[in-house]
Amino acid sequence: MAEFVKNIEIKVKRYNPESGKVLISTYTVPVYKGMTLLDALLYIKDNVDASLNFRYSCRMGICGSCSVLVNGKPMLACYTQILHLNVDSILIEPLPNIPTIKDLVADVSSFFSKYRYIKPYLIRSTYPQNEILQNPEDQQKYWSYTLCIKCAICYAACPASIDEKFLGPTALSTMYRFNIDSRDEGVKERIKISEDNIWLCTACYSCTLHCPKEINSSHSVTELRRIIVEEGFVPKTVRDVLSNTFLTYNPWGMPSERRTDWIKDLNVKLLKPNEQCENLYFVCCGPAYDTRCHEIARSTAYILNLIRLNYGVLGVNEWCCGDHMLRLGERGLFEFLAEHNVQVFRDHSVKNIITNSPHCLNVFKNEQPYSSLTVNVKHYTQVFAEALKNGLIKSLREINARVTYHDPCFLGKRNNIFEEPREILQSIPGVKLVEMSRNRENSFCCGGGGGRVWTEEAPYERRPSVERIKEALGLNVDIIATACPFCVIMLTDAVKALGLEDKIRVKDVSELLKSSLT
Amino acid sequence: MEVISHDIVIVGAGIAGLRAAIAAAEYDPKLSIGVISKVYPTRSHSVCAQGGTAAVLREGDSLELHAWDTVKGSDFLADQDVVELFVNRIPIEIVKLDHWGCPWSRDEDGKISQRPFGGHSFPRACFAADYTGLHEMHTLYGRSLLYDNINFYYEWFVTSLIVDDGIAKGVTAIEIKTGKMSVFKAKSIIMATGGYMRIYNFTTYSHSATGDGVAIAYRAGTPLKDMEMVQFHPTGLVPSGILITEGARGEGGYLINANGERFMRHYAPKYMETAPRDVVSRAEYTEILEGRGFKGPFGPYIALDLRHLGEGKINERLPLIRDVCIKLAGIDPVDELIPIRPAAHYSMGGIHANIKTETPIPRLYAAGECSCLSLHGANRLGTNSTAECLVFGAIAGVEAAKHAQSSSLPDIPQNPLLMEEKRVYDCILKHEGSERIPEIRNEMRYIMDDCAWIFRHGDKLLEGLKKIRNLKERFRNARVEDRGRVFNTGFIAALELDFMLDLAEVTLLSALNRKESRGAHSRIDYPNRDDENWLVHTLAYHTVDGPRLEYIPVTITKWTPQVRAY
Repeated sequence: MAEFVKNIEIKVKRYNPESGKVLISTYTVPVYKGMTLLDALLYIKDNVDASLNFRYSCRMGICGSCSVLVNGKPMLACYTQILHLNVDSILIEPLPNIPTIKDLVADVSSFFSKYRYIKPYLIRSTYPQNEILQNPEDQQKYWSYTLCIKCAICYAACPASIDEKFLGPTALSTMYRFNIDSRDEGVKERIKISEDNIWLCTACYSCTLHCPKEINSSHSVTELRRIIVEEGFVPKTVRDVLSNTFLTYNPWGMPSERRTDWIKDLNVKLLKPNEQCENLYFVCCGPAYDTRCHEIARSTAYILNLIRLNYGVLGVNEWCCGDHMLRLGERGLFEFLAEHNVQVFRDHSVKNIITNSPHCLNVFKNEQPYSSLTVNVKHYTQVFAEALKNGLIKSLREINARVTYHDPCFLGKRNNIFEEPREILQSIPGVKLVEMSRNRENSFCCGGGGGRVWTEEAPYERRPSVERIKEALGLNVDIIATACPFCVIMLTDAVKALGLEDKIRVKDVSELLKSSLT
Repeated sequence: MEVISHDIVIVGAGIAGLRAAIAAAEYDPKLSIGVISKVYPTRSHSVCAQGGTAAVLREGDSLELHAWDTVKGSDFLADQDVVELFVNRIPIEIVKLDHWGCPWSRDEDGKISQRPFGGHSFPRACFAADYTGLHEMHTLYGRSLLYDNINFYYEWFVTSLIVDDGIAKGVTAIEIKTGKMSVFKAKSIIMATGGYMRIYNFTTYSHSATGDGVAIAYRAGTPLKDMEMVQFHPTGLVPSGILITEGARGEGGYLINANGERFMRHYAPKYMETAPRDVVSRAEYTEILEGRGFKGPFGPYIALDLRHLGEGKINERLPLIRDVCIKLAGIDPVDELIPIRPAAHYSMGGIHANIKTETPIPRLYAAGECSCLSLHGANRLGTNSTAECLVFGAIAGVEAAKHAQSSSLPDIPQNPLLMEEKRVYDCILKHEGSERIPEIRNEMRYIMDDCAWIFRHGDKLLEGLKKIRNLKERFRNARVEDRGRVFNTGFIAALELDFMLDLAEVTLLSALNRKESRGAHSRIDYPNRDDENWLVHTLAYHTVDGPRLEYIPVTITKWTPQVRAY
């Protein structure tokens, strides 16, 4: 027999539609080496509690039946070894975002109906007598997207899917898979199906991060948008953002000369053309132009001054980094902006870049042409957390508040920066940091990414930002802190929409740190 | 009871069921087709098929050769007319799947790639890496969504077939989400519910593949054919039994014993690791019985060695296998040996049906693993099963459609419906018994592993039969612990177990009675093939006293039985 290792506690969220009861059942399961979560559920069902219900079939990660939420993270029960989780207590819940039928059984019917909409089959006008030739390289282009097992994990993790108009990552990645299959001729038919809803994707990356088959659905949405943009089927809201950015180098369409409005009386070095600059503070259009966000830039600059960093800002020469444009499918515009910025970084011999926005951080680190620069890119929270550790930031004033931290997707999920913002918050005396149940890599998006910060038109109850604020409210916090100007904008709007301005405040981590220093 | 009507009802939505649905929908767009599946189609066991689908596509190969390989593989128990039709039709099916979007692995010239497989004398396995079943299923499911006349009933569990005046008229089914029973009436009914190897413990099967349709047809009067013919796959991953595709050996993998020896040279010197499955499984088991297995915490095992293939080839051709080994066994086949031993894998037997998929009951058709058209005889060749599902799924769809066009919806009598409600709800769901369902199920599986495994003996088969009959008695005193109606998986498991006990009984009795060794059926007490007495198909009929056996001749067109060596 297999080697017994230890007993673990498994809690299961139960729901019985016949009695209407919701409860948590707690079981003790003897774990052996190699035991999967599905083995544990079957052990419980056979030996402890026959009334526990869950789906399962192939037990080899290929049928997609047994997806559940495990300690907040969606995964396949059969493809997860218990000992690999490295915990002694496990909470298993049904997939979120989807109605529950009973216990761990989620109602995936609408997930499957959306799959049907996207015409998941080859579309052609004529067929040869034999196979349609396709060379291996052409097949490789779409191969990874064919591995989807329809487990609905991406759908459950997807913030845009709270709006039933959105087709969801599975349907969209399958649409992309067929569109780029060299045998297929159905692109135009399929564009029509997605052109009025694909903009709801926030590019949060949850679908890709949690996919058991490592399918990059997030990328497929970007690429589908690119096809739609190329074909010109773009709604006005999107078109406005793109043309504003093309004309004024910022998505708001504000004049360049107002990019430095936020500085006012602050002592900030505006770089002259070709002036050498080791440390560049890249402000981002959000804090530069959005009046709510001026304070983020001001706080950041104030603290950079405090730690005596010798830095400069580009002023009118700073153009939008292009991250949102890239996610909106306008790669050409992104490259136009990026080439300018890259040239400017070179002109100033920039060695280190500090960003306010996780979006700027992300493209600088991960997207060409930025990523080929030999520049060290940091988010401001990394710089400040390090400064705190090194004693460069001292004498913090007490802020008595219950605070929760909302992880920006582009900072956390895409760039693994989870702890530094929390370290900063915890260094402020009086701050009691509490976590929302969806945190770190399981965080729920504010709804602003992928350009949606400018195109949001969904009714309030279907906005991710509103759902997020409600989640924070459940923790009775005074402040929801975050570290991204776009999250600040989205969450602030949601607080207003809910009429909760006197109940909960939205603050950037930089703002909170600054208030504890003045 | 609510009545739902369709021209055609298809039970099961794996490769055979979906292929049948598409064929019927294309044959006549006016026909209304209901596809009932106890799982969402993409959860069907067909997605677990890995290695490939056999078809003659290239110069150097021939239909005749594919047919001969199949007949020889079957140890001459295949009906040769069925084999000939099959090899003729499968190339068209491969092309159709390509036209519907299946991402078949390709050669550099853009044509569909083919690889060697056990018992095939030409590399004729079309494949999509080692995800062949997944891709065939998702291609068929996607394509089926194109037709407005295909209506899916996801997560409905069929409990019985209604036969009246000797004619199949409908099925009763429970919507799992509500626990309510409805009756489906139809002009034609196709069974495509898959095999029943979950009657064994060490098996490559999905949990859901419990052979419901086989037992349902049996109880309704259809004979079950050649149920003693159980295929053991040589490479079930230890300890779970998860399938490691034969493609791993097709691509060049070795089987080695604890002495590091490629022992297949003693058993099949010409074919080595790519001999047919019955030959390789017997060889492995002999090595284990004679003490040359590796020792491990889950008992002795054999090793599958892929290391010499190199990481590149493994990633390209066997990515799923590598992932499964890493995730579930903690072993990376690029650097380590894979622990395997034979696992119950496929039921050659099933619902008796002819070359047109017609069963002896008018209006009832059967296709795929649940059926026995005698394509595989006593041993199926790898890659001929997904091929069978495609070819005969399509034929069943067309035959059912033709029949539906020329007939009218039947009237369903009330009596069998009332009896079925009583059986399902009163005698199973609400029955006040003391026996536990999981215990009976586990005992059944251990009995089958113990008494009806690779090497069989009359004494053990008889012992197993007695024990299974005792379990059937105990089942009558069983209790479903959860009495809820909504999505009660314990209730469904009880219904499945009831079916599986019947299938275990038929398997044991059929095996006990076949006093020879042929293909996968190896009797220690009758070690030789006996064409004089046993070149026949077993038919098992349901009676109140248990299965009644009859025998019918094998159809031979071209190939007279000869010594089978590899």
